[in-house]
Amino acid sequence: MAQKQINILKNIRGKKCLVIDPKLSGSLSLIVQSSQLKEHGAELRHLTTEPVETDCTKMVYLVRAQLNLMKFICSQIHNDTLKGLQKEYFLYFVPRRAVACEKILEDEKVHEMLIIGEYPLYLIPLDEDVLSFELDLAHKECVVNGDTTSLWHIAKSIHKLEFSFGTIPNVRAKGKASTRVADILNRMQAEEPVTSDMGIPEINTLILLDREVDMVTPMCSQLTYEGLLDEFLGVNNGAVELDSSIMGVQQEGKKLKVPLNSSDKLFKEIRDMNFEVVVQVLRQKATSMKQDYTEISTTTQSVSELKDFVKKLNSLPEMTRHINLAQHLSTFTSKPSFLGRLDMEQTLVEAQSYDVCFEYIEEMIHKQEPLINVLRLLVLFSITNSGLPKKNFDYLRRELLHSYGFEHIATLNNLEKAGLFRKQDSKSNWLTVKRALQLVVEDTDTTNPNDISYVFSGYAPLSIRLVQHAIRSGWRPIEEILKLLPGPHSETKKSGFASSPSFDTIPGSLNNLEKVADGRRSLVLVVFIGGVTFAEISALRFLSSQEGMAYDIIVGTTKIVNGHTLIETFVE
Amino acid sequence: MAGVSVAAEWQLLYNRYYRKPELYQMQWKHVDLTRNKVACAPFGGPIAAIRDDAKIVQLFAESALRKLRIFTSSGRLISETVWKNPGGRLIECFESSVVECVFWGNGVVCINEAFGIFAVPDLKNPRAVQLADCNLEELPHCIAVIEPQYTMSGNVEVLLGVGDHVLLVEEDGVQQLGVGIGPLQKMVVSRTGKLLASFTHDGRLLVVSMDFSNIIFEYTCESALPPDQLAWCGMDSVLLYWDDMLLMVGPYGDPVRYIYDEPIILIPECDGVRILSNTSMEFLHRVPDSTVSIFQIGSTLPAALLYDALDHFDRRSAKADENLRLIRSSLPEAVEACIDAAGYEFDIPQQRTLLRAASYGQAFCSQFQRDRIQEMCKKLRVLNAVRHHEIGIPLSIQQYKLLTPSVLINRLINAHNYLLSLRISEYLGMNQEVVIMHWACTKITASLGIPDASLLEILLDKLKICKGISYAAVAAHADKNGRRKLAAMLVEHEPHSSKQIPLFLSIGEEDTALVKAIESGDTDLVYLVVFHIWQKRPSLEFFGTIHARPLARDLFITYAQCYKHEFLKDFFLSTGQLQDVAFLLWKESWELAKNPMASKGSPLHGPRIKLIEKAQHLFSETKEHIFESKAAEEHAKLLRIQHDLEVSTKQAIFVDSSISDTIRTCIVLGNHRAAMKVKTEFKVSEKRWYWLKVFALATIRDWDALEKFSKEKRPPIGYRPFVEACVDADEKSEALKYIPKLADPREKAEAYARIGMAKEAADAASQAKDGELLGRLKLTFAQNAAASSIFDTLRDRLSFQGVS
Repeated sequence: MAQKQINILKNIRGKKCLVIDPKLSGSLSLIVQSSQLKEHGAELRHLTTEPVETDCTKMVYLVRAQLNLMKFICSQIHNDTLKGLQKEYFLYFVPRRAVACEKILEDEKVHEMLIIGEYPLYLIPLDEDVLSFELDLAHKECVVNGDTTSLWHIAKSIHKLEFSFGTIPNVRAKGKASTRVADILNRMQAEEPVTSDMGIPEINTLILLDREVDMVTPMCSQLTYEGLLDEFLGVNNGAVELDSSIMGVQQEGKKLKVPLNSSDKLFKEIRDMNFEVVVQVLRQKATSMKQDYTEISTTTQSVSELKDFVKKLNSLPEMTRHINLAQHLSTFTSKPSFLGRLDMEQTLVEAQSYDVCFEYIEEMIHKQEPLINVLRLLVLFSITNSGLPKKNFDYLRRELLHSYGFEHIATLNNLEKAGLFRKQDSKSNWLTVKRALQLVVEDTDTTNPNDISYVFSGYAPLSIRLVQHAIRSGWRPIEEILKLLPGPHSETKKSGFASSPSFDTIPGSLNNLEKVADGRRSLVLVVFIGGVTFAEISALRFLSSQEGMAYDIIVGTTKIVNGHTLIETFVE
Repeated sequence: MAGVSVAAEWQLLYNRYYRKPELYQMQWKHVDLTRNKVACAPFGGPIAAIRDDAKIVQLFAESALRKLRIFTSSGRLISETVWKNPGGRLIECFESSVVECVFWGNGVVCINEAFGIFAVPDLKNPRAVQLADCNLEELPHCIAVIEPQYTMSGNVEVLLGVGDHVLLVEEDGVQQLGVGIGPLQKMVVSRTGKLLASFTHDGRLLVVSMDFSNIIFEYTCESALPPDQLAWCGMDSVLLYWDDMLLMVGPYGDPVRYIYDEPIILIPECDGVRILSNTSMEFLHRVPDSTVSIFQIGSTLPAALLYDALDHFDRRSAKADENLRLIRSSLPEAVEACIDAAGYEFDIPQQRTLLRAASYGQAFCSQFQRDRIQEMCKKLRVLNAVRHHEIGIPLSIQQYKLLTPSVLINRLINAHNYLLSLRISEYLGMNQEVVIMHWACTKITASLGIPDASLLEILLDKLKICKGISYAAVAAHADKNGRRKLAAMLVEHEPHSSKQIPLFLSIGEEDTALVKAIESGDTDLVYLVVFHIWQKRPSLEFFGTIHARPLARDLFITYAQCYKHEFLKDFFLSTGQLQDVAFLLWKESWELAKNPMASKGSPLHGPRIKLIEKAQHLFSETKEHIFESKAAEEHAKLLRIQHDLEVSTKQAIFVDSSISDTIRTCIVLGNHRAAMKVKTEFKVSEKRWYWLKVFALATIRDWDALEKFSKEKRPPIGYRPFVEACVDADEKSEALKYIPKLADPREKAEAYARIGMAKEAADAASQAKDGELLGRLKLTFAQNAAASSIFDTLRDRLSFQGVS
């Protein structure tokens, strides 16, 4: 992929100005270093409404196929033309050209001035076990606008994976978008069959899940270390950006980017833990190090012991990094407002005290607390009650418009279309779902967890419960529950790969099914359409590490989200 | 020794043998080469003939019309057409003034009347390139072309025999070569472009290196008359043809003479020359080494002995074994030679014998690559099939290797030999798509009389042979041939939606295209169809079409929202979605606000309010949108009030803030009456009013006013807002005025804790009998040992009470 981008630049000779879609720059930085770009004579800019000031006569645009971006490009080119500047324009679409975008370019009469190409970046590996399609608007576009472009994109990405890993024999989908993706994937397999001489496919099962099926989980505050980092500091493309003073670097007002991925051994160890436990673990580690240090300084040690100590010292920068981060996080987690919110989330999930919840949210609106925070709880409230009685619904909407401004009618309209904040039309079945899937677990041990509920200190995320069942036994045993959740479900088993006769004839091949040739476990790919939270990923990693689990789990998602970023997409 | 008769037909040129087996007896009748202009394609290609108008036409014996006829190499007529273009030579004259031209591979070099030299490097894409001007005053004596693959520049180069020397002409330069070598009458470049054979005015054959630096050999002919034809035969001999004599000259030794009593045409090939006469086609080429080793008279080489052994074996003679013993150690090379020789053979029985000899020898050698024989059989099967006189492509094995199987197949399908090409591609494990596709297209063109349904059946029957074949391409061809209905039927079978849908559009099946595009899930295709229909149909009809299809409709709305706002309104109005028009208008009113022209308080508020009122009106048309209608009404009212406030306060800080913000701003400015007015105007609840006023007063730190407010009447939501505002502002003493008034002991405890009063917090908590709360509060006071112990004692007491 990196080579492809470099080639684009190489093929355009001389100095050029590379203008990229700001939404792409983060993910591209995971693939190509900006120094590499400079080596090829490229000036780097972000695409905005503002005209680009540059001496370069060659402009290279690298953008997602979004309609509004076309307007920016057109106005920039018009601007150059008005000034009498003659430039060469290159436009690369990620991941592919789009008729609608080109139509705008045609109508604006700039199409023939552009040399158009494609940069087929369909998915980005965020970590060893996480792939992202980087479609941050996918959920909103599907449920509000009915624009299902992202579904084709997802199916295409999975189909591309199949060319490397073989056709995935089992596909289980829940939700409108997911079943559609399974369907499109099927068509793609018919149009372009994956050659089946690869033996046993590496990915045994594909589980597709709509975010719409479980909007409760992302609305709750994540309590894992990585989840909390995202909630409070915002993790972007595997890094958080914060004031350098927090990390103990004294540089006035400078921002610092702290990378967060599994190449940091300590982070890999603690990222999925409940934050309470992380604090304890860090304390233990620090204490043991301090002890070692006192021993070193007081008693004479053998060389090998010294060596061990020095080895431990090597992990000191990581220790300091995470102690700093944890300390910074605890300034947020110890606030009464945060604790109050956690309480309320719990009450909302339990769905037993309607009036308490209603009054709490009403008061938040009256106090004009940040709109997104209010909407997060409101959505949670509405979903667990299958909407609100008309009187309450209209009242809260009016209070919202009065407190935050009438322009938010559009936001409310979006939320209503998405079914996130709406009028009640039937009795809520949340309690049934909650009970049947044991979503609220009493006495959750966060230190030595035995259930995924540890990630929310007592609430087991619905999405992951469904995945747990899907992996273990397929949809059939929980079909009745699935019917209570939004959207249809589907389950298919491909006979396609039974065509390799050697496979059928090996006795006991069923046992081999789960194992790929070299003894690794085969994979389950869990794809979240509409985004997944870090806490849910942690829960999946927990499942994968459990004894008796036959698979490694890989997560695919349209985007890593949290309640805040998810609600934000609906705000206009 | 066997094979005496074989070697008897060879001619020796110095130390090399040549042979010229007859490939075909020509099947044509009444074709006289002298009376026709004839051109032949290399690689066993077809022969084109046209009557030479310079010759006398025999009336009654032939048609008076001039016809261009194409024959296979075996003389079977493939096609003929009446030739109307006047002109001397049998080439397509694309420039009227061409006087001389030379072809090579896929290109041609021409000289026009003004002696300008042009090259067309690719006839498929005829674009002429003018070569450098060499100031010719008359036509050169002779021309030769060096093909691009053999030149340094990679472009074609032309040799012209001018005066006593040769000019080498390129695109950007002319070079003089071989000055004084004597006027050249004829020139031919060798196959590899390294050597040039030429015939001088004084009757010498000269073979020189391409740069004229080195004369390889020279032969003085008996006559100074230039030969009719001059050609290379392979790499090491040159053929000269006069009237009835063909002379083969090699670098050493005496030339070989062949006498012909009928006219012939030399057709150079990479490994020899084909000789076409009125009655036969021969192939003159060097006898390959392997063949020599077997058939040379008196040969005792292992290959010859192996061949002999087979003969003995067939006659059940024990000598077979003796022969084998003799050559035991060199058996593999003998086998190899037999296989190789079989490949060069045109005579099928001879091929068979040689291969049997090889197979016989192979049985006795352990380490021989067994698939060599199989491979050779495969090649020969293909060669024999195409050499059959009905097909008439006399390829040698060398030519076949150079031509490649896929080109051969293309030639076969161009000659409509579909069955054979299908069989060959199947036999060689090649993709049959090319064949089937070509067949299908030809079939469609040729089947004007067959009804669509039956033709479809015929086509499908064959198309299904090939998985992944493009039905769309066949359908496109059908459409081009005016069979739109057949095209529609064919395209139904195309599995690739990205190919299928554009085709549906091009044959006017928009509705089917739309359905298929939606099914495919590829929104790009849906857009393609939507735009197409949009352009083609009147608006109302277009609206109707997409309204019935949710995905198409939603995509159109998404696009139009971004780019065709007004058109979208028309759409919503046509479908009766008034509320959506209202939302659009409302949105427009915000766009106006964002417009920098709309500075606060400017007359632009008028248009904004009008838009909002229009929206309100539209909302009120439907029962379901009473809420929106009321909201729009309030919004318009708010804008008016804010406008008035800005006028009266002379401060542009009101417009576009919310109702709550407006109230707060009024209080902060001390304008309580205005705040009250907004409150009543919009029926703001007492609850919200209290929060707003308390926070606003805390903002300006007017603690007296706050206290006064708290005493106005019993606050409807208690004293919590007062406590929170004071605590947030860090005013402990102010907070203490209200904390005792809190009704809930839990709230009281937490409030005390927040201002650091542990003892009071603990008391309140124990009053609430809440152990969990005590635990939490203890954490808050973790640094304070004294406070911490208070909580422990209290908690112990509490749990004790709980037990009892």
